[in-house]
Amino acid sequence: MVVLSAARWLRSRLTDRFWRVQEVLKYARHFRGRKNRCYKLAVRSVRRAFVRSTKARREKKRFLRALWITRIEAASLEHGLKYPAFISYLVKSQVELNRKVLADLAIYEPKTFKSLAALAHRRRQEGFLAALGDGKEPEGIFSRIVRHHY
Amino acid sequence: RYVRQLQRLQFLFSPTAADARGARQFVEEAAQDFARQHPDVVLYVSPCSGTAPLVRAEYLNGTVREELIASKTSEEIVQLITKLANQSGLDIIRIRKPFHTDNPSVQGQWHPLTNKPSILTVQGPRLQPQ
Repeated sequence: MVVLSAARWLRSRLTDRFWRVQEVLKYARHFRGRKNRCYKLAVRSVRRAFVRSTKARREKKRFLRALWITRIEAASLEHGLKYPAFISYLVKSQVELNRKVLADLAIYEPKTFKSLAALAHRRRQEGFLAALGDGKEPEGIFSRIVRHHY
Repeated sequence: RYVRQLQRLQFLFSPTAADARGARQFVEEAAQDFARQHPDVVLYVSPCSGTAPLVRAEYLNGTVREELIASKTSEEIVQLITKLANQSGLDIIRIRKPFHTDNPSVQGQWHPLTNKPSILTVQGPRLQPQ
């Protein structure tokens, strides 16, 4: 006999409510107060936490870039250069290092960073000579532009 | 040379339970082919009635991973264990950085006295710190 629907006196019971609740509470275990224990409060807090973590991924990039810039500024000031001068003269000398790498060099390879600061300083001097000297001195070495053909 | 991180696979299922049917079919048909294709993984099959059928994977770094194979077909079990065989035993959490070095600094890590003149710190028979 084919039965298309269950009889009216049969009821279905929810048997895995515990695990459905635990799925949400496991993300709330490190919260403060009742929202790490009570499901009703935890649902709201967990949802807000996820939304905030999604939005924070865009902020993280800005935050890390600002951190790198602070570190490079501190390191270049130790060598007598300000950050805008350092970055601009590095770019003019065709040294295409990004701020993340420069910050790591400043922390873990201080001698390399010192040589980069010296390079930027020398390029700065050559720029001043080229602008103010006008003609008679030979062109600076670090002011030469190398064109790569890819 | 590639070393497979999976050490052994233990299949625990009962010979009579209904949800272990896929596991029994797998052991009859596909277990030998899998063992031949992956000669560096040891397969252990042991009967245990009363518990849910599961496969336990042990890795070279000591992690043990248990997966339920109840009500799975033989092909699904094969897919599952090939996935386990290609994994390493590292825990599956968010990796904070995609790189890691044991020696991050070659020239010596920066400390507040790296760029100060050495007259400040040198202690010798002639040089006195100021």
